[in-house]
Amino acid sequence: MNEKPMPKYIRRSLISLSLDDPQLGEKAYASWADAIILDFVRKPGTDWQKELLARMPAAIGEAARGGAEVFVRVNSDTAAAELEATVFSGIAGVVLKGVNGAEDIAKASERLDALEESRGIAAGSLEIDVEVNTAAGVWNSLEIARASRRIGTFTANEHELCRDLGMLPEPVLEFEPLEYIKSQLITVATSVGGQAHGMSYPLSLTQKNVGEEDLRKAVRRARDTGFKGAVCPHASWIKVCNEGFRPSAEEIAYYRKVIEVFAEGLKRGMASVPIDGKMIDVPVDLRAKLYLEWANRAQARDEEKAKAHARPAS
Amino acid sequence: MNNRVARCSMFVTPTNPRFIDKAWTRGGDVYILDIEDSIAPAEKERCRSLIRESIQKASKGGASIYVRINKPFVDADLPYAVWPGVARIMRPKTESAAEMQHAHEIISRLEKERGIPEGEIELSPMIESALGAVNIHEILTANPRKIWSQGGGGGYDMAVNLGIEMFADFDQYAFPVAYVALGAMSLGIEATGGVFVPNPSGRVDQSDQAVKQAEALHAAGIHHAGALHPAFIQPLVSGLAPTEDEITWANRVVEEYDRLADAGESIGTLDGKVIDKYEYEFARGTLDWAAACAAKDRYKARALARAQAANVSR
Repeated sequence: MNEKPMPKYIRRSLISLSLDDPQLGEKAYASWADAIILDFVRKPGTDWQKELLARMPAAIGEAARGGAEVFVRVNSDTAAAELEATVFSGIAGVVLKGVNGAEDIAKASERLDALEESRGIAAGSLEIDVEVNTAAGVWNSLEIARASRRIGTFTANEHELCRDLGMLPEPVLEFEPLEYIKSQLITVATSVGGQAHGMSYPLSLTQKNVGEEDLRKAVRRARDTGFKGAVCPHASWIKVCNEGFRPSAEEIAYYRKVIEVFAEGLKRGMASVPIDGKMIDVPVDLRAKLYLEWANRAQARDEEKAKAHARPAS
Repeated sequence: MNNRVARCSMFVTPTNPRFIDKAWTRGGDVYILDIEDSIAPAEKERCRSLIRESIQKASKGGASIYVRINKPFVDADLPYAVWPGVARIMRPKTESAAEMQHAHEIISRLEKERGIPEGEIELSPMIESALGAVNIHEILTANPRKIWSQGGGGGYDMAVNLGIEMFADFDQYAFPVAYVALGAMSLGIEATGGVFVPNPSGRVDQSDQAVKQAEALHAAGIHHAGALHPAFIQPLVSGLAPTEDEITWANRVVEEYDRLADAGESIGTLDGKVIDKYEYEFARGTLDWAAACAAKDRYKARALARAQAANVSR
């Protein structure tokens, strides 16, 4: 437990951008998102594959200019052809949409093996991120998570998942209807050393733009559920996600105190010491250390992006 | 000895005389002698050597004794933990069937060597990580030893593993806790605590918090809970036993159902409520649990009187 970094990735904010967006590069650069997911449309009656093959390398470069990790979203049921057309050096991995079982992962992973070899990408380096939008995908999430070492993150496409479950994809209820499913995806992803991304209800089911204060609370709740980042429907979410999906300044101060008080206790032979009625013992101390490391990694990620922004456009 | 009734299991540190010498006066059903997280690394060896005498000390008031060992030191801890008078070994952070099997084999050998009937000591996997939660079924079916499901899917260590800050005002463990409890119940194994009760202060020493927790567990049909502070003992011991009203009602249901059966009927009403075989079985369960609690309370009262007399005469 926890020999690996927690969270696995500093990927607090993700934003989807269309390959057809003439301002793709500008938007990606200005967003300060930790990750950009490239979407494309297969235009009927065109040789979409040939067109994508020609456009992808430049688009990846554009999207990466602000220091974001770049992913491409492909459909699970037509993954082979779409991967062939979109996988190039420069992407961190693919978001596989509509995964229903382990077989989907096995097939995609096999294609990635071949593409890594033919396109000069390090073997096994491309990540598969799972986007679930069906009951089957949720039910089979554990076998999906265990299907490949490439699995990095889980996310529920909540709008489509609600459709599949026969639920209104709008926040009409007093309570979070997908609480158990979200918790399941978080648990499953964590069990294989990965992480889950998502937003808390009701913002998870509405495109409505809310004030920054409400957004902060929603991010806090998502983080307290176990999500490590969120796909942002608005660029305005990104700053709040970058600040919220990491330990806060107050938490960092508290963890420093925990580590100090616990170390003092150990010197006196006590492995369990109180701070304000809360017991500080080995797991609390371990958590404090992990969280400080998490905060440091988030800080390093911010500096990386700042550096990318400081570089003159080539 | 009555080991089935464990309404409140409280952790005590054998290395701290202030806790271990007083435990028997506090009225707990169970004391868990801890060699794990409440014991400083430098104190582990001394703690192990104190287990045997601590069993006698802590059980003087009629409580059952469990020992919580360390995940990294299973082989080293068990020879100091398996003694006559120990009802159960708690194995923390369990994640696989192989870990259960390993502990089972060592316990079996020690039982044989120490004249303990083979298989008498129960083994409890503590589920404290995402991996442990998703593997609950293989863990609980790993070997033929009597298994209890303990510490199911929440708590400090799970928070560390999921990277969440505990003590939010909502249920942060919706999936893992439910999945672990359901896994246990599907195998006819009684589960311990696991109903969400908000505790945003994070304090573990407030008896009003214990009362709320007992009410929630009682309503959910869970009879067993753990405690870190003596303030939790009385609220849990009284709150997890059936109330007088419940016992009276259960007796009336059983009587009415028996009367129906004599008349060749299988369904009737009592005070406007439907009485059928489900109500009958539920009522029998209540009476059975009430009898077990009463027996435990009598056993504890006799033991306490003896211990107090011995204390005075000394």
